[in-house]
Amino acid sequence: MSRVITVLMDLPETNDSHRYTIDALGHAIAATGAPITFSVVHTDSRPRLRDGVVIGPGSPYRDPAAAEAAIQTAREKGIPLVGT
Amino acid sequence: MLVEHARNLLEIDAASHAEYGNGGVEVVSLLSCSLTESQIEISIAPGTRLASIHPGEQRRVERTHCSYGLSPDFGYVATSAGLRVSAVDDTGEVRAIERPDHPFFIGTLYQPQRTSSPDRPHPLWVVFVEAVAR
Repeated sequence: MSRVITVLMDLPETNDSHRYTIDALGHAIAATGAPITFSVVHTDSRPRLRDGVVIGPGSPYRDPAAAEAAIQTAREKGIPLVGT
Repeated sequence: MLVEHARNLLEIDAASHAEYGNGGVEVVSLLSCSLTESQIEISIAPGTRLASIHPGEQRRVERTHCSYGLSPDFGYVATSAGLRVSAVDDTGEVRAIERPDHPFFIGTLYQPQRTSSPDRPHPLWVVFVEAVAR
């Protein structure tokens, strides 16, 4: 069953840091061959977290409380998280 | 990650990030020198998850795009309540933190994504994806 990584990032797609983040995640998924997909969402959409979380670059966030809540949820529920 | 840690695990209710400019207790503050579009050399702490991601590399070069870091007044935030420092730069600034009690919980004040390529995916991202797949 495919797993889903939620990428919390408010930067526009044209921003270098946005592109580097998405590209690096794609490189890693391709290298592992794991059945993993990802979705990029803005912090203020307050998404439901699934199997992995990326706290993307580009603070200040639109909704810093939502970013913090995502970190707390990942920490407490043992969901893999990387923040750059 | 540092602000969430300070607020929820160290009970620093007013913990804040200087970039928001809303006062409070600025656990994350402006660095003395901007590291926007810079390369930094990090020293990786032995025995950490980050060290296992980069076996045999005590030091490595990373790229950064950040002007904020852990405030010198709050160094203990990165070494308490289950958090530990996994890398510092050559000025001693904290550059990576992690929770050893968690399947994968790493924060960096550099951007490993900036040195990833299809032929050489950055190891931190690969190990993160492997953790998600487990």
